[in-house]
Parts: sequence; C-alpha cells; structure tokens
Amino acid sequence: MGYYILKRLLAMVPTLLGVAVLIFILLRVVPGDVVEARFLTQGSQFQSQELMDIERKKLGLDQPLWKQFTTWMAGLARFDFGLSMWTGSPITEEIKLRFALSLQLAIMASTIATLLAIPLGILAAVKQDTWVDYAVRVFSIAGLATPSFWLGILMILTMLIVFKWVPPMVFTPFWVDPWQNLVQLIWPALAVGYRYSAVGTRMMRSAMLEVLREDYIRTARAKGLWTKLILSRHALKNAILPVLTIISLEFAFLLGGLVVTEQVFNLNGLGMLFVEAIARRDYTLTQALVMLVATVFLLVNFFVDIAYAWLDPRIRYR
Amino acid sequence: MRDTRRLLALAFAFLLALPLHAQTPRNGGELVFPVPSEPPSYDGHREETFGLIHPIAPFYNTLLRVDPNDKGGTKPYPSLAESWTVSPDGKTYTFKLRKGVKFHDGSEMTSKDVKASYDKIIFPAPGVGSTRKGQYADVEKVEAPDALTVVFRLKEKSGSFISSLLSPYNFIYKAEILAKDPHWYEKNIMGTGPFTFVEHVKGSHVVGKKNPNYWDKGKPYLDGFRAIFISSSSAQVAAVRGERAHIQFRGFTPKDRDTLKEALGDKITVQESAWDCILMVAINHEKKPFDDKRVRRALSLALDRHTGSKALSQIAIVKHVAGVQVPGTPFATPPEELNKLAGYWTDAAKSRAEAKRLLKEAGVPEGFSFTFKNRGIPMPYEPLGVWMIDQWRQVGLNVKQEVIEAAAYYGVIRKGDFEAAMDFQCGYIVEPDLDMYKFLSTDRNPANYGRYKDPVLDQLYDQQSRETNVEKRKQIVRQFEKRVLDEEAHYLMTLQWHRIIPHSSKVKGWTITPSHYLNNTLDTVWLTQ
Repeated sequence: MGYYILKRLLAMVPTLLGVAVLIFILLRVVPGDVVEARFLTQGSQFQSQELMDIERKKLGLDQPLWKQFTTWMAGLARFDFGLSMWTGSPITEEIKLRFALSLQLAIMASTIATLLAIPLGILAAVKQDTWVDYAVRVFSIAGLATPSFWLGILMILTMLIVFKWVPPMVFTPFWVDPWQNLVQLIWPALAVGYRYSAVGTRMMRSAMLEVLREDYIRTARAKGLWTKLILSRHALKNAILPVLTIISLEFAFLLGGLVVTEQVFNLNGLGMLFVEAIARRDYTLTQALVMLVATVFLLVNFFVDIAYAWLDPRIRYR
Repeated sequence: MRDTRRLLALAFAFLLALPLHAQTPRNGGELVFPVPSEPPSYDGHREETFGLIHPIAPFYNTLLRVDPNDKGGTKPYPSLAESWTVSPDGKTYTFKLRKGVKFHDGSEMTSKDVKASYDKIIFPAPGVGSTRKGQYADVEKVEAPDALTVVFRLKEKSGSFISSLLSPYNFIYKAEILAKDPHWYEKNIMGTGPFTFVEHVKGSHVVGKKNPNYWDKGKPYLDGFRAIFISSSSAQVAAVRGERAHIQFRGFTPKDRDTLKEALGDKITVQESAWDCILMVAINHEKKPFDDKRVRRALSLALDRHTGSKALSQIAIVKHVAGVQVPGTPFATPPEELNKLAGYWTDAAKSRAEAKRLLKEAGVPEGFSFTFKNRGIPMPYEPLGVWMIDQWRQVGLNVKQEVIEAAAYYGVIRKGDFEAAMDFQCGYIVEPDLDMYKFLSTDRNPANYGRYKDPVLDQLYDQQSRETNVEKRKQIVRQFEKRVLDEEAHYLMTLQWHRIIPHSSKVKGWTITPSHYLNNTLDTVWLTQ
C-alpha cells in the first residue's frame, strides 16, 4: 500500500507538468493580452502605444516565450506563484480569501448533497417501484433538470418578492461572524447541494439495486440477518463506491466551477476569479488557478483511490 | 386678535420652513453602492475605468472639478484651486490653491504636490505609465512659483484646456511620495479627499470613512461609504431592491428601472441623462468596396436612427440620435440641423432609396455580403448589432455578424482584420477635443480603426481646438461633423447611450451627469435616514 501511495504521488508530477505546459501555451494562443484588455477596452479617446509598451515591459511580456515559461516554472518550484498581471498583487493574496469562501461553500454543498443523496438513494432502492421510490425519483430528476444558478435566481426572487429581503452581499468569514456567514452561504449551498445530490441519489439508488440482487445479500437474508444490518454492513459498503467517486469529483469541481452561481449570489469565490482572470488575460493568475484546481483534482482522485482500497478489500494494488 | 395673527404667522413660517428643513443635509450614515468592476490598481493617472473612479475618487481631490450640481457635466468648478486666470495670449493658466488643505497623513498640500502630480501625468518618468499624457500634448511645462500658485504654460492656446483639468482621474498626490516611488500610488491610497481609506478586501469591497479634517468645512455629510463589487447586473438590481445598497453609479437598463420602480414605488428616485458613451461603426477604408465614400454613406443612410431610437430605448441603454457631441450639450448640433446629415433624415424611405441609389452607382450588387464584427458584450452591443444588420438588409445588403470575445476584440480590430466593426467611445466630459480625437487620421490617432487619412479633417480639428471663441468653435465643430459623418462618412454613429440611475430616495445631494466618471467624490451626498 505504501509503495502504491508513493507511486501515485510521483505520478502527479508529470501530470501537473503537462497541465502547466498546456495552459501556458493555450493562454498565449488566445488573441489579446492583459495590456490590451486594460487599456483598449474602456472606450478611451487617447490610446498610447508607448504606454502599452511600458506596461508590457513591466510585466515581462516583451520577453521570449521560453524565458517567460522558465521564469514561471522556477517560481512554481519554490511555490511562488508570482504577481497578478492585472492588479500587481501577490497571487497567494488574491486567492486566499476566495479559496476560503469556495472551500466552505464546497464543504457545505457536499454535506447537503451527501445527507440527501445517500438516505434517499437507499430508500428509493429498498422501496423500489412504490410511491416512495417514485417521489424520490421525481425529486432527483427535478434536481438534475434544474441548473443550480437558476434555482439560485428563483431563491433570490422569492426572498425579494415574499420577504423583501436578500442575503448579505459581502462575505464575512465564519470565524468573524458565524451567523452572518451562514446567512449568506446557506442559500447557494442549498441551490448547489440539491443539484449535486440529485446525481448522487440516482447513482446511490442504481448501485444499491444492483448490490441488493447479489448472491451474498440473498445469503445474508437467508441467514436471517436484520434488514438494517444487511443494508449497512453488506450492501452500503459496496454500493457507496461509485457515489463516493461522484461526490469527490463534484467537490473538486465546486472549488472552481461555480461561476454563475457565484455571480447570482455575488460570492467572491474562485469561480468568478477564474473567469475574470481569463477575461482580463491575467496569464499569471489564470495559470496559478489552473494549477491549483488541477492539484485539487489530483489529490481528490488520489484520496478516492485510497478510500476504494479501504472500503473494498477485493481491490488490490500492485 | 393680535396674538392669533402672530400664532398664524408663526405657524405659516413653520410650514414654509418645513420643506427647507427637509432639504437641509443630514450628517451621518454609510452610503452603500455596488460597483460592477474592481479597480486594477489605485492609480488614477494610470487607469481608465469607472471601476477605479467609483470606489477610489472619494479619497482624492483634483485641481478643478465639474460643478456637482451641473446636470450637463461640463461647468468648471473650484476644487483644490479656488480661482484661476488666463493670460491674454491664452497660453498661460495660473491657479490659486486653497490654504490649509491637508493630506490624510496630516501634511499640508501645496503647489509642489500639484506640479508633481501633473508632471507624472504629462511628463511621466521612464517606465511610468500615464493614460492621459496625449491629452496634454500642448502643455510645455508646469510651474510652482510659490506654495499656493500653480502655472501651466502651453505651447499653443487651447479652447479645451480648462475642460481637460476637470478629469476626475487627475488625483493630486503627495510630491514627496512620488519623488521616492512613482509607482507607490498604484498600491496605496493617500489623498486630500473627503474620505479616508479603511480597507479594500479583494473582490469584495472598499470602505472609506469621513475625513474629519476635510478642507471644505461641514463636508462630507456621510460617516462613510462602502463600495461593494458586484459584477452581475441582476445581483446589483437585487441589492438595490432588497435595500442592501442605495445606488449604483454606472447605470441600469430601462427594464431594471421599471422593475425597481414597480417594486419600491416612492422609495426609488430615478435620475436620467444622455450618456457620454456611444457605439460607432468603424468602416475599414482599406477594404473594397468600403474605400468608396458612396458605399459608406449608403451604410449610414440605411440606418433609420429616429425609429430605432424609439424601439431600442425600450430594451437597451441607448436612446438619443446624436452626432459627434452628446445631444443637449454646449457644442452639440441642434436636431433640425443634425437631421440634414446623411443617415439622420426623418424620411426613412427617402433615405433608403438614396442608399440604394448610391450602392448601385458604386457598383455594389443587390445582396452584397460582408461581415460585421461585434464585441461579445450583451448590452448594448447585441441589440444594436441586430438592429443594424436588419437596417442594412432593407437596402439589399446581406450582412453576417461575427461576435468576438470582449478581451480579444480590440486585438483583432487593431490589426485591420475586418470590413465593418463596432467601435466604442466613452468620455469623462463632453468636449469636442476629446470626443472628436477618435476621428483623426490614423497616423495621428492609431485608435482610428477606420484606417483612413484625412488632412482636411485633421486641420478642422486643430482649428477648433485652438479657437477660444465658443460660437466660432461651434461652427468649426459643425464642419468637422458634416465631413466625418456625411461628406466622407468615415465613421457611423449609432445611438447615444442613455444613463438611468434608479436610487434609494434616501440618497440626496447627488446629481446625474452625462458621464459615469463624474460626481463620485461623494462630498455633497447625504442620506435622509
């Protein structure tokens, strides 16, 4: 197992290197750069090539691409992401606050999704083809069909029209004011969590149905074991594997992928930062964010694989 | 009897005093406003976005400002300079500064600071970027003969120099700091403005609090302000509707205004104005058949601006039929005269018939196809693009629209890789020098994407720029306008933007202007509760 863990960890290095090369090239292929985005898009009457040249020099954009790449890689090796080309501030500073918000939202949404998906999925499987199953299926299919941002808009409009109230527009960290923090984040967490639970519920139901038809479950029943015990000890442990994968990957996605939901609730998260960084051609910030998300995905995958081994002893790694 | 009269007189006087009292500025409160974008840096001399002006301007003063009560947004008003004189030859401007103005660090503001700030804008040191350097090309030098006098010496007399000093971006910085590090103000804030800096949480908000030592005694009225960065327009509307914010200073759409008014009734006050922003069509003179002015005129004649204005103003932030100046402003051409220009005729059928005739004469076949490049921004690029394509279709042109992502757009347009493309201009003040610079020959202004050279036009520009007699200058502006929009049809104007600010009725002391860059110092703003 130790060898496997080491091997998986080392395998991350070439993957991350590949991501780094890809994002570096892709960003430079796309037309426009940060200087154009900054000085040509505001409809100004006086545009100066001299000013643009000064800014490009200041940002190192006048350097050959290989030099820009090696400078960036040397920084990465020291865990130094450099400065944002748009604001000039350290990238760690730009990401820090947003990461805290996105992480908390991802945790809250994942918790809501897990708390809904696992019991509902089991219930639907156990009560297959009864009204309970149908109700769960309708609930989960509605969740799949409803984009979380749209649900968010509905929530905001309902709160505005019925209660003449909207959630706070400014993020307050949990450790500063837990109540304010939860009042702001619970709504997007519910909107995202519901959508995300729908996938889990469907997966949980089908995996559970499959496992419940296995021979070892029939044997357990024949032995006269309690249904509760059969479900929790024998069925759930095996059925939960695909659900775990989905929940984990969704968690990684939530960290940087909630762009529209963040816009709807005005959340200062990584998703919005990502889109702004791309729109502004902030190469250094975009590169750092891509590397961050790629690392999170790799780590989540890594932990899922470890969890697989722990949950299912039949899985053997060499 | 006499007592009763006295009582009645007192009661009458009290009633008369009531509305006056209601309009007396009240001290206190925090103004909360959403800002649709965030400042890239804090340096006004370097940036060119309302994302900087809205949250950062309250920390600074400028030498002059636009009168905060002038709806036209063009009237010069004293700020750090309390008065000024112009020499008889029109080349020397002398400004007397206020006494006792202090920076937020407690040090006194003097002419050295004004000189250092303007030197940074006009003659930036190597490696220092100044966005508005080109605007002051006529300035020979800035002098500070004594602590309270600043002198600007010009190479040529100018009809617009005072207007150029009204720029809300020209913050006065501290000379000592600039001498040590000309980039210091990119990441730090320290001015003489009515508010002092408290915090900027990246991506979230900027907070300012009342400057107790502000030179304009009794101001500001607010205890502070909070600028919240909200990029989504629906979230901005929700913030105002849910009374989490008082005002958004850039502007809302007609639909947003109606929604807010319907939901909040008297709690919302709406201020509207023509907006000093306009989308134009750059026609690439280097591509055939657009090198032929008959074709360019036909493109303009095809647009029924008057009907378009009525329809589009219902759904988009555009409204006014305009020439090269914002309608209703001092140098704008009156409608009856403007309507004589090609594309401005009130008889659309006649205009289209003339467009078809010109196209035929120029050898452009029926159904001629070309690509119109548009910028990937929904409002108002999208509705205007759709409208124009429909208008051109009605004179037999088959136009394909290609939408390019916003940040990549100007990279494409600058290379000249287009036939016709949407172009954009937005100003901080309505001033011919600023608004007409766009149309100068491409060797004088690389931002002229029409890629033409027109020495006659350049000469007219210079003439009006040097003319200090307003009436004479107006006449030259008219000639310039006729040439650029009618005779040569170098550029096509679409419709002038229309600025709509629905704000909480609690907000007082703020007047809309045609520019969303103006009136953001917040010193005159107060809240009723």
